[in-house]
Amino acid sequence: MAVVLEVEGLRKFYGQFEALKGISFEVKEGEIFGLIGPNGAGKTTALRIIATLLTMSGGKVKLLGYDLKQNPEKFRENISYLPEEAGAYRHLTGIDYLRFMARFYDSSSGKTQEFIERAVAIAGLGERLRDKVGTYSKGMVRKLLLARALMTKPVLAILDEPTSGLDVINSLEVREIIKSYAREGLSVLLSSHNMLEVEYLSDRVALIDQGRILAIGTPQELKEKYEAPNLEVVFRRIVQ
Amino acid sequence: MKKFSNLLIKEIRELINKQLIFSLIFTLFIFYFIGQMTRVEAKRAETSRRLGVLDLDRSSFSRGLLDNLRLVRFEIDEFETGDKEEALRLARQKNLNFVLVIPPGLGEGVEKLEPREIETYTFLRSFSLGAARYSEIFRVILETANNYLSNEALKRKLPEISPDNLKKPLKSRDFVIVRDKKAEASASAIAAFMYTQSIFVPIILAMILIYSSQMVISAIAMEKQNKTLETLLTVPISRSSIVAAKMLAAGIVGLVSTLIYLAGFRWYMRGFTGDLTQVAGGLAPIIKELGLSLTTSGSLILLISLFLAILCALALATILGVLAEDYRSAQSLIMPLLLLVMIPYFLSIFTDLRALSWPARIVIYAIPFSHPFMTTQNILFHNYRGIAFGIIYMLAVFIVLVIITARIFSTDRVLTMKLRWRRRQLVL
Repeated sequence: MAVVLEVEGLRKFYGQFEALKGISFEVKEGEIFGLIGPNGAGKTTALRIIATLLTMSGGKVKLLGYDLKQNPEKFRENISYLPEEAGAYRHLTGIDYLRFMARFYDSSSGKTQEFIERAVAIAGLGERLRDKVGTYSKGMVRKLLLARALMTKPVLAILDEPTSGLDVINSLEVREIIKSYAREGLSVLLSSHNMLEVEYLSDRVALIDQGRILAIGTPQELKEKYEAPNLEVVFRRIVQ
Repeated sequence: MKKFSNLLIKEIRELINKQLIFSLIFTLFIFYFIGQMTRVEAKRAETSRRLGVLDLDRSSFSRGLLDNLRLVRFEIDEFETGDKEEALRLARQKNLNFVLVIPPGLGEGVEKLEPREIETYTFLRSFSLGAARYSEIFRVILETANNYLSNEALKRKLPEISPDNLKKPLKSRDFVIVRDKKAEASASAIAAFMYTQSIFVPIILAMILIYSSQMVISAIAMEKQNKTLETLLTVPISRSSIVAAKMLAAGIVGLVSTLIYLAGFRWYMRGFTGDLTQVAGGLAPIIKELGLSLTTSGSLILLISLFLAILCALALATILGVLAEDYRSAQSLIMPLLLLVMIPYFLSIFTDLRALSWPARIVIYAIPFSHPFMTTQNILFHNYRGIAFGIIYMLAVFIVLVIITARIFSTDRVLTMKLRWRRRQLVL
């Protein structure tokens, strides 16, 4: 499998505080790569840098060979980012929101309608898509945003806590959507503090704490290496 | 371009919401209603002006005076009683606002040039401008009558001398010079006319600046509050396009709203001033002769100046919008901008900005929004240096603000920069 994303020695300072202390990993084509760690570990900072929202203090990030510092616009064309606490424009209907976002990825190909149809299928919100986003529940907004993130079939979908704040049923649905899209060759970089969720979703994971990656591997490899029944125990053993 | 128009349309749709439309319609209605009401009331007051008269003289002179009052559309309610207090009681009963008491022997006194006092009583039932109107009108009538009577007396005594020459041995012919053009007119009349004509310019300017700026600040603050900014910043469109779309949308909606408000304001003002085009009738040729009307190129310069001021305000508002954490804090962040607009606005209404002391002028000139307030006068008085300085200065300020804005939007600061009021610190 070809490497889609390369992260090498990524560092980030917020003033004097070093949030990322030189992390390195790569994401391959069609792979779901999970960054797991406790709150404040540096997961969101890493994702925000790759999503071009934050500038890096050091290191290198490449997507399809394009350097982030030199070609941030190439990143934006090929990624899709779902922030942890994202919202949608409350005055727009669900379908209008999807159309608005789809148009940014359709400069000449005329694929807006195709993107919208795909998003409608992913979101599964039916007729409610014709209602204003302001009337949606939190779960509905999250599904709409996930549909928005996946509708263009980006080279890399960056999902920060994709099931954050969702109930069990909605979380299961969202996980299934992510899994099915990865099967179509889409690469996913996701973060979560829910290690069991990441274990279920990810092909490979990186355990991150205090800005450092402590271990990388498939969930199975890590469990075997640390003789643990699940990733939560793996993490506890590494930290201890 | 397609991506930019997509964003621009979204921004405009976001700004034109139910609240805005309701507020525009409501304001228009209020302006129109008050304007109409004032006009109707003024007309009604003009057509029926009732006054009570107690004529204790009943000479041919007093009857003539009352006939003349009737000629200027006064409806006279004459009391038959001979008692002043009784007349006032009747006037109160009839809800009259103004009573004249003509003393006995008025006609005879006029003949002998022995003045008698006409008493006037005004029932002050409110403190509105119209409450003392009758008394003022009568004062003018009395002055005219006095003038006429003294002229007649002088003619009789000194038939070889013109009464007017006798009373005013020194006369003046007033000329106004504007640059190299000269016209016979009163300087105060010209100044008053120009003030009435140009009073709308600062009002429009202040409204556009405040309205558009508030929209930009709120638009960015709402993106932050609704957590949509992060997603927007990762879509394939340049950061400068995001900023430009927000600024342009706010500019367009601000301009349209201001024009609507202005139309309402004109309706409202007409209630007080009447149609300005009619007032202009007499002075118009003199204004033209003095070159005090804006030419096409002058109007263009004024538009450029207004446009640059709007751009400066929008750029500054964008930076302030980034500092806002949510919609509520955005409302307080408009204050510094409001002050920068209101200071030159009020000063331009009450004083000549160029006549201020040097330190005050430096402060005023440093505020970019001061320049368009001075542009109209600079154009009319051909102060090209002032115009050029204003335009270049505003352009420079705009470029600096855009560079700062672009820098903020292309770095982490767009997400991390905020103003914390409690700690009173700027967090970068």
